[in-house]
Amino acid sequence: MKTTKSGYRRPASLTKAPMHYCAGCGHSTAHKLLAEVLDELEISERTIGVAPVGCAVLAYFYLKCDIAEAAHGRTPAVATGIKRALPDRIVFSYQGDGDLAAIGLAETIHAANRGEQITVVFINNTVYGMTGGQMAPTTLVGQVTATSPSGRESATMGGPLRMCELLNTLDQPYYIERVALDSHAGVLATKKALRTAFQAQVEGRGYSFVEILSACPTYFHRSPLESLKFVGGEMAKQFPVRIFRKEGVALHA
Amino acid sequence: MKGAVTVESKRVLMTGNEAAAEAAIRAGCQCYFGYPITPQNELIAYMAKHMPAHGRVFIQAESELAAISMVFGASLAGARAMTSSSSPGISLKQEGISYLAGCQLPAVIINVQRGGPGLGNIDPAQGDYFQATKGGGHGDYHIIVLAPASVQEMHDMTFQAFDLADQYRIPVMILADGRVGQMMEPIRLQEGPAPIPPAKPWALTGAKGRAPQCIRSLFLEEGALEKHNLALQECYRRIAAADTKLEETHTADCEWLIAAWGTCGRIGKGAVQKARAQGIKAGLIRPLTLWPFPYERLARLGAQVKALLVVEMNCGQMLEDVRLAVNGATPVHFSGYPGGRVPTVSDVFNALTALVRQ
Amino acid sequence: MHERILIAGSGGQGIVSLGKLLAGLAAETIPHVTFFPAYGAEVRGGTSNCQVILSANEIAAPIAEIFDSILVMNQQSAERFLKALDQDGLAIINQSLCNVPAPERHLLIPATEIADRLGSIKAANLVMLGAWLAHKPLIAPTAVENAIASHFHGAAPALATINIKAFRAGLARGG
Ligand SMILES: Cc1ncc(C[n+]2csc(CCOP(=O)(O)OP(=O)(O)O)c2C)c(N)n1
Ligand code: SF4
Repeated sequence: MKTTKSGYRRPASLTKAPMHYCAGCGHSTAHKLLAEVLDELEISERTIGVAPVGCAVLAYFYLKCDIAEAAHGRTPAVATGIKRALPDRIVFSYQGDGDLAAIGLAETIHAANRGEQITVVFINNTVYGMTGGQMAPTTLVGQVTATSPSGRESATMGGPLRMCELLNTLDQPYYIERVALDSHAGVLATKKALRTAFQAQVEGRGYSFVEILSACPTYFHRSPLESLKFVGGEMAKQFPVRIFRKEGVALHA
Repeated sequence: MKGAVTVESKRVLMTGNEAAAEAAIRAGCQCYFGYPITPQNELIAYMAKHMPAHGRVFIQAESELAAISMVFGASLAGARAMTSSSSPGISLKQEGISYLAGCQLPAVIINVQRGGPGLGNIDPAQGDYFQATKGGGHGDYHIIVLAPASVQEMHDMTFQAFDLADQYRIPVMILADGRVGQMMEPIRLQEGPAPIPPAKPWALTGAKGRAPQCIRSLFLEEGALEKHNLALQECYRRIAAADTKLEETHTADCEWLIAAWGTCGRIGKGAVQKARAQGIKAGLIRPLTLWPFPYERLARLGAQVKALLVVEMNCGQMLEDVRLAVNGATPVHFSGYPGGRVPTVSDVFNALTALVRQ
Repeated sequence: MHERILIAGSGGQGIVSLGKLLAGLAAETIPHVTFFPAYGAEVRGGTSNCQVILSANEIAAPIAEIFDSILVMNQQSAERFLKALDQDGLAIINQSLCNVPAPERHLLIPATEIADRLGSIKAANLVMLGAWLAHKPLIAPTAVENAIASHFHGAAPALATINIKAFRAGLARGG
């Protein structure tokens, strides 16, 4: 790690490339934390990531490990293929809510249900960032997006999918946690969750899933600061932040 | 209409994506199903806003696989149905399109093409010509493919697509590109009452007062699939005879012929005008239907001219159909732009004059 | 008449809305009009640009290679786009944010500062439009003012006033 003048330390697994994410975007923080965990567990040289189609499609510019790019939503299936071919490598997918919970929901559920030995990092920002702020499966009821111009209405558009809760009904997953990038404490908790998830894979324990509630100021149509409040407030109310499964055992709220 | 500025003489400034969406509404499209993808996002956003306002169905599906299957369902129930996407999403729709074709179901599909293969980029491209015109999905079928070059054509062709689809019980694709989708031009909207679709006695609406019927693409009985496929081919022949459409510019006396479709056709026209101004006898053929393809007209023009220049934003796809049509009667040259770059009038003009000088 | 116009600046400077406004008004009197925005990833980088073509005849290529008018509002776009100006073309340069060697026919105008003084830097795009129209009178200034008034109608009448003033300031500076 190198310390810059401001005291910020860039993890070795993070490249120097300036990130293209908008100001206040949760992807930037999530990338840094992920890189720190790869450093701390000393696994970056045997890790293969699978980038989604979404704003994080360019993750290979930022993370210093091997990265493949999957077709939209097929991310966990690609990760499955890699892990089955190279079982001693560390394999993760990094996905947005559109990629993971809409077009790739089947792949998400079946990879979890098979207990694939992979880590899924799920960035839930309630919108499709890359395509211009359309409704996502996790969009809150009433939230206005490009394709729910009068606000999401559950009677015809469904309600927000709670992915941790859904996956927690399956037998195979080993570790499931939801965290929020809404504050300093949230950042620390996110780092800890990622570390636990990757540690589980290093030890060959099974499937691990970390959902990160994350800001998209651009399509929340709020300032970065207001966006953090939205993440910790309305979003966390809909998506409770907690550990759902630990060491293969479902924890009930 | 948001984003639309109404002007005198009823010209309206719209993007190609919005113009197609508005045409569908005016053509009586009852159900729209889509999934976001650039560069057609304005289309789905327009439908999200306006379909419910007209009391019609709008669903943002969970994927393109789901969206086209929803179209399949709405169509077999007798409704006018549409979906739209861009290249990677259209690949996913191929399964559903094959089933629509096999079941002889009408549907309208808009492809605002972007660069490929794979994720490619989001710039305008014409790389999906093979996919659109040669089947795309599995099995022995065709769909009607229309190629707009302007916002007005985006509007008019989408409007007509619904009638063609119902008339022949066939999927119709609008094969546009990011340029036509994103561009704004003032257009005249289709006016008057929505066309009345033909009766659809084949639709599944419940067997009240009639024997139950079935819509299927599985034919296990001996000889049944062969019979079905021959019937499809007979329908394709009827379409080719009656509905092959093209635009010609200065072809009567031309010695040098440009063949191009969509955006390239429009740019080709600019190059022809420039060439004519310099005394070069240039002409243009722009197929408006890519399937059915104007083989016969091209064959005749091929016999007339000194050489042909095909211009496409790909590595040579319509080129193969042009060669097939001309059948060696005259040299066929190619100018291709496969990376999302749109040729300029001078690019095409220079390629043409290089031929003339040869 | 065949006028190829490029407008460029950074996201948030109202580049695309200015292009749309211009195209919409032009369509009322000019037979052929196209408007093409740069879209997608190109926009996320922070720059924004669009092209408007106005013509008496059918527009074959809706994207131009060379422009009769270029309006640049920030340094990055000035550096990138001024090279595409026609020999006889006119450049309108937002002096507040650009420092570049100016082409032969040019107008330097502190659009952002003028707009700021009037009450909103977001009105700088209309200062640019005014300055351009002073040299290329292709649209009636009253039509522009009416369009601004109706755009801000109801929601923010104060903004309408600022924007109209900005437009007039540009028109005066350009003339
Ligand atoms: C088959 C296919 N359909 C659609 C798209 C367009 N597309 C790109 S990213 C995306 C969704 C992005 O949203 P999300 O997964 O929530 O990630 P975010 O951008 O918010 O990080 C879509 C629909 C595509 N690339 N491929
Ligand atoms: S659009 Fe949203 S998710 Fe995408 S980079 Fe910007 S803030 Fe992040």
